[in-house]
Amino acid sequence: MRRIFAQARKELTQLLRDRLALGLALILPVVLLLLQSTAISLTVSDLPIVVQDLDKSLASQKLVDAFRNSLSFHVISWPTDKQPDLAFEANKARGALVIPDNFGRRIARGEQADVQMLVDGSDANTARIISGDAEQIIRAFNMATAGASHPEPVTAAIRLWYNPSRSSRKFYGPGIFVMGMSIFPPLLATLAMSKEGEQKTILQVFVSNISAHEFLLGKILAFMIVATGEAIIMLAILFTYFGLQFAGDPTPFLVSTILYMFCVTTFGNMIGSMIPSQVAAMQAVALTGFLLVYMFSGLLFPISNIPASIRWLSNIVWGRYYIEIVRDSLLAGGGWPAMWLKVIIIGGIGALFYLNAWRYLRRMQLKD
Amino acid sequence: MRKRFSALLNSRMGALILKEFRQILRDKRLAMSLIIPPTLQLLLFGFALNPTVSGLHLGVVDDSQSIESRELRAQMTESKSFEASGMYLSVGDLSKDLANGKLDAGLVIPYDYSRDLERGKPVTVQVLLNGMNSNTATIAQGYTEGVIATYNLGLAGEGLHANFQQVAAPDVNHRGLVNLVPAYLFNPGLEPTWFIVSGILGVLLILNGSLIAAAAIVKERETGTLEQLLMSPASTTQIIVAKLLPLFVLLCMMGLMALTVMRLVFGIPFRGNVLLVVAAAALCLLCGISIGTFIATFTKTARQAQLTLFFINPPLTSLSGAFTPVEAMPKWMQPIAQFNPIQHFGQISRGAMIKGSGIATLWPNFLALTAFTLVLVSLSIWRFRKQLS
Repeated sequence: MRRIFAQARKELTQLLRDRLALGLALILPVVLLLLQSTAISLTVSDLPIVVQDLDKSLASQKLVDAFRNSLSFHVISWPTDKQPDLAFEANKARGALVIPDNFGRRIARGEQADVQMLVDGSDANTARIISGDAEQIIRAFNMATAGASHPEPVTAAIRLWYNPSRSSRKFYGPGIFVMGMSIFPPLLATLAMSKEGEQKTILQVFVSNISAHEFLLGKILAFMIVATGEAIIMLAILFTYFGLQFAGDPTPFLVSTILYMFCVTTFGNMIGSMIPSQVAAMQAVALTGFLLVYMFSGLLFPISNIPASIRWLSNIVWGRYYIEIVRDSLLAGGGWPAMWLKVIIIGGIGALFYLNAWRYLRRMQLKD
Repeated sequence: MRKRFSALLNSRMGALILKEFRQILRDKRLAMSLIIPPTLQLLLFGFALNPTVSGLHLGVVDDSQSIESRELRAQMTESKSFEASGMYLSVGDLSKDLANGKLDAGLVIPYDYSRDLERGKPVTVQVLLNGMNSNTATIAQGYTEGVIATYNLGLAGEGLHANFQQVAAPDVNHRGLVNLVPAYLFNPGLEPTWFIVSGILGVLLILNGSLIAAAAIVKERETGTLEQLLMSPASTTQIIVAKLLPLFVLLCMMGLMALTVMRLVFGIPFRGNVLLVVAAAALCLLCGISIGTFIATFTKTARQAQLTLFFINPPLTSLSGAFTPVEAMPKWMQPIAQFNPIQHFGQISRGAMIKGSGIATLWPNFLALTAFTLVLVSLSIWRFRKQLS
């Protein structure tokens, strides 16, 4: 036990001397958390659209006003003799509302009047949002003009649970917290471990009487302490600036956070003991940590959208389970009944990493 | 032409360039690692990142259990957006499964649903959506409203709704309804990968360019061969250009390979001039290489250089608009994104490939990209020379 603590203290002292690494552990995650959660969002609003009103009747003016008044769009001026898709090419507008010239007459006659919404489809998600918003405006317009004579038989009262303001920050914030935890602690751990191999200081460890378990646990403990520091700083921001709070029982979060810190720092140590080159080990961790967590954990987009042939990968990505737990405890609050299996899986993956790292370091135990 | 080429090869610079090329090509693994992994990354990103909202799991509490309510349920799950995932007896059970993630949405139909409809009284059904993911919630809300609207229209023709309208109000002042016909230009199938793949190429160019350039220069310094090069009669500018040109050529090959993948695997239509994209990619690469060189002049070891790049590349990526549209960023942040070469590359590649825009509309982006490249290249050469003299 004493040896484990001594090993951990040595690691932390070494880390404190390395300002660059310290900044990487404590400052960069915060910068990224603030930057990414503000920048990453898919819910566009206030998009520029072009209106081509070929009718110029009272009814068409009313419809244009409805679009003008909405928060989703703002109308830009565009000469009527120019094709609206030229505005898309020039990135001036994302949509164009075209009102045909018999619009007002058809409305007055009680017929159905078609209007066209041209949408720039180059960004598919934004295009869907644009046509959804336009349809919403038209529905409201129909209700207002048809008035009391045309009440809708069925209306849907839509309730958004867990994130009623649809704040994308609240959704992406926890995910970016997980990404920070998945990259930086294992990165520092792998640097420290591969450095021992690169500079051959590992030989000194081999000849000392410290066992592989003690050596490994000391390293893991040190970087778990660093990870705790990182987690506390990021959580403080999530709870204050992001306005998040525990939605239910916080214990699944606490338990899984400890297990996850163990899991990722052990992963770093495992890679570090396998690759005795700091730069190569760092790249391996950055690639797996970043790519896997970024793409296969549902951080940005739902996992179910990944084609089935590579979707299975997400089942072995440790970050995926942790993201689900963090989102659940900060937004939904399903608690232990919903999360117990995921907590166990994180622990299991961590144990596998530990066994593997220990296997690589076992050589030192063969001597006795 | 040939004469000039051989003159170049015989010059000092030519000799240096040749040496670098030989050095890189001798190490086949390095040359491969410059070209293959970025292309694989592009493939993975393109397949894995997809914001489409479909197949949302819908749970239903049907207290009415009537023909009408079954019709509504069928209508909800008819499209690809919702997928029927179970009936529930109470809202409590439903919300439990909504909380643990088994369901994405819930539909609650009240017990007096069909009775009220027949009496001509407007009824309200409740739709619960898991709003955690703001994008999914926005689009699912649109879907739901669309389904209900079509359902209402469908009622109009049939007996029930005729009944409904008569009771509700006699049709004295009937006015026509507006019908929206959406048309998606450039990407009628709304293929979501096009947007992401065309943007990510810029991220990969900057990322790999900076990492590889930094590694190459720091390595020369670490092994001490930089001093030997300096003792040769070549000038510092010649040394740095000769050092970076082969990397640039290899990375350009990576870029071309990525473009081929975009065309063949993802089926992105090359509607405009491909040369525009290639030129923008080359500028983007130069930016990346300059960033790497610049960092390398401040650092002594490869480890330090890579750690420092961590402070530059991720923020640059998150402000690039490669994964999510710049328009979705807060208003105050959008101008900041204009200072990012990746953002301009994205505009050019999306414009030229998907929309078929030409230089007439893309020149501001080219201007910005060229300006960044010039500034970054001269900054890095200045640092390099200052450090060596």
